Amino acid sequence: MSPAPEAELREAILAAVPSLRAFAISLSGQVDRADDLVQDTLLRALSNLHRFEPGTNLNAWLFTILRNLFHSEYRKRRREIEDPDGSYAGRLRVHPEQGSHLDFEDFRSALAKLPSDQREALLLVGASGFSYEEAAHICGCAVGTIKSRVNRARLRLASLLNVDDIEDLGPDSMTRAAIQG
Amino acid sequence: MTVDKGNKLARLSLDRPSSSKLATDPKLDSTSQKRIGDQLRAMYDELMQQPVPDRFRELLDQLDKGNGGKGGAQ
Repeated sequence: MSPAPEAELREAILAAVPSLRAFAISLSGQVDRADDLVQDTLLRALSNLHRFEPGTNLNAWLFTILRNLFHSEYRKRRREIEDPDGSYAGRLRVHPEQGSHLDFEDFRSALAKLPSDQREALLLVGASGFSYEEAAHICGCAVGTIKSRVNRARLRLASLLNVDDIEDLGPDSMTRAAIQG
Repeated sequence: MTVDKGNKLARLSLDRPSSSKLATDPKLDSTSQKRIGDQLRAMYDELMQQPVPDRFRELLDQLDKGNGGKGGAQ
């Protein structure tokens, strides 16, 4: 008989799958690759269940595993084929049959243009609901680094999406562009 | 004497964050920040609402039954 806490943990892991998938899809830009990532994450988590400290944040633990797998795989791939950022944006099509939200298409392609460290910081803090501290823990960096990555990600998205073009039609936008470099 | 030192340190640490903020970090205004946040969450919510592929449930069920081996899913 398997001990009850482990069964409970498995249920909790299954419950985390939708948010792991959303993160993986947004991070990698590809559903197939994201699902492989989630599967590898689940396998690794299940074979390391004994390493999970009860009472700590299960989601953060799972996201850390997924994030590390993503980066080690990414490094491996980059060694095999050169994968310039430009082609990435083109691949970021999640489900065209539900493409009624033109905004999302724009948003997704803008998101894909961010450096991956900024993208992951923004996704963790702005969408997955982690605190800056948790995101720093997941990414293995300082809280200040996460904060500045999130900030830079927002600024870049704003300029890619022309979020502020309603307010500044004048010389203000040029000033802003100059500041952003 | 030690009190003086303490005060000096306090003043220094008060000065530093404000000047570094001015120097490096342009911040997005709160309206733009909110619009980006809303779009991000809307996109994410849509992804979260997708049905979980069967393979994940099957994977966990399989491991539940064959509990005891390592890497039994292959």
